[in-house]
Amino acid sequence: MKAAIRHLVRNRRRSLLTLLAVLCPVFALVVMFGFASANLSDMFDTVTRVDTGHLQIRHVDTRAAGSATALMQDPSHALEALAGIDGIEWYTARLDLPALASAGDRSRTVLVQGVVPEEIDPISSTRSLIVAGTYLTSDSLGVVIGEELADLLKVGVGDDLVLLGAHPETGVGVLRVPVVGIVDAPIAEMGRSVVQAPLALTRQLARSATAATAVVVRVAGVTGPWDSDRIDAVAANLRAVLPADYGVLDWRDLVPQVDVFLRILNPALLIVAAIFFGLGALVVLNTVYLSVMERTRELGLVLSLGASRGRVMRSILSEAGILAGVGAVGGALGGVGLVWIVEALGGIPLPAEYSAFAKAVGINSVLHLRVDAPQVLLAAAAMAAVAVLAAWVPALRASNLEPVEAMRYVE
Amino acid sequence: MSNSPLIRTIDLRKVYETEAVTTPALRGVDLDLHEKEFTAIAGPSGSGKSTLLHLLGGLDRPTSGEILLEGRPLSGLSKDQLARLRMTSIGFVFQAYNLIPVLTVLENTAFVLELQGIARAERIERARRILGELGIEKYADQFPNRISGGEQQRVAVARAVVSEPSIVLADEPTANLDSAASLELIDLMRRLNEGKGATFLFATHDARLLDRVSRVVTLVDGRIATDEVRNPA
Repeated sequence: MKAAIRHLVRNRRRSLLTLLAVLCPVFALVVMFGFASANLSDMFDTVTRVDTGHLQIRHVDTRAAGSATALMQDPSHALEALAGIDGIEWYTARLDLPALASAGDRSRTVLVQGVVPEEIDPISSTRSLIVAGTYLTSDSLGVVIGEELADLLKVGVGDDLVLLGAHPETGVGVLRVPVVGIVDAPIAEMGRSVVQAPLALTRQLARSATAATAVVVRVAGVTGPWDSDRIDAVAANLRAVLPADYGVLDWRDLVPQVDVFLRILNPALLIVAAIFFGLGALVVLNTVYLSVMERTRELGLVLSLGASRGRVMRSILSEAGILAGVGAVGGALGGVGLVWIVEALGGIPLPAEYSAFAKAVGINSVLHLRVDAPQVLLAAAAMAAVAVLAAWVPALRASNLEPVEAMRYVE
Repeated sequence: MSNSPLIRTIDLRKVYETEAVTTPALRGVDLDLHEKEFTAIAGPSGSGKSTLLHLLGGLDRPTSGEILLEGRPLSGLSKDQLARLRMTSIGFVFQAYNLIPVLTVLENTAFVLELQGIARAERIERARRILGELGIEKYADQFPNRISGGEQQRVAVARAVVSEPSIVLADEPTANLDSAASLELIDLMRRLNEGKGATFLFATHDARLLDRVSRVVTLVDGRIATDEVRNPA
């Protein structure tokens, strides 16, 4: 070991190059993992906060293709079950009902979202998006619509809308309700097609005093898809206590396209990692090979004195191993250090346009980098292993030198 | 001196072949070397001195013929077995590039002991002792590039004898030394031969050194031309 370290010190430049060939990929991978995790967290937060929650309790027919969302005629069983389950951060009942909204001679297909305003406040930013009128309370007898829908229907605060709701299980219901507030929706489509109403009022439209389409649940301690185990545990506990005609859907069921994206992302990251590893390995192979070439006479001497081929091989691999280890640890510490510094400075603010959207929908407008110990350890260990494997080729050559030929070698 | 030779060669031949040229280096050498001999292989350049030493040391394989070391033929040994033989039974001193540059004089001297798996404390003690006997202990912690060529060759001799091998093979050990240093090195080897009973066989083309040896085998064109006893130990 001492001799290996002296060899490395003796050829400082080459040692530094080999070390950097390991350090740089590990550093880059750790930082890349940090960004990937930040984006994953951001995307996950967007889909689970604004719309789906981490879980939804629905009637079992909920996912029948092409049909309207099935009604839970009485969600009290679900709400009672939730009260007895650990690990729940938040939940609320919601009634989503397709409807036709009309004002005068204008009409448009909308989705009436029946919510309990006081319950959704902690996770919804709709109240802060009001540009005219007021937001809802549970007792409100009016609705909130987006600016785009107000323009399409030519209505303002105080004007009446006629909502014609239709559901296969309850038939047709009609309500005339005033617009009490107009919001500047972050997404134009939401502004055009969503009407938010108190749950009680929406139930009148659905002609059911207790109906809901879903109980939306957020699980405590979930910061991203990597915490899916927590979600799965709560889902399993819920399934165990809910009646048979209740289903529990998680975010992967509700927004499968996001799950697919996440599934693609990991292989993509692995491919990038493999490219980094490959480039690092080529540099290591080259530098160790040059080192063996330069030391051919010395290796010949060592073999002449009776060193076994295994010993010669181990000596070359141990030098590569030292550099790989130091490089991997250095790269990991550097990457984690950079992530830590970025986080200490408050994260990375998103571009202005996206930042405005993020603020509007109530999600973080700053990217918070995040690295997990297993990711860092895996990147460092894999690169170190690849580097040592790359050194195997020149080490094998060194061990197969003929002593006499090697001692005659002239650079 | 025992009657059975330490080393015996039987019709030893070595031919170097390339695509264009075939060069016979040894053309049938029959030689017996006995314990405690201090023998020089003399002869002009290209006479086959180094080739003979390499074959005797298991560093190369003969084209034909046989070498018996302490009665054991070398021809059937694998590369690893030959390496083990070199480690345990043969000491080497080469013409140049004898020492490992990243090891100190002490570590170079103890290197073969380390290969043999001898405990650190013992190998350090033995290496220091032999360096002391050869008068170079003061260089123990120096790296090879900090000492002279003559001193480096002394260290090489120390390394060659520290493990008490059956024989020490030295290939033109004085070739890169001046006259005084050459004579000093040969005298040192002779003292080890006489004092410790170490068997030496070295190649040289320096006639001045031949007065100090007990036997001179002269090679010419790959054959033994003369074999004379001069100053028996």
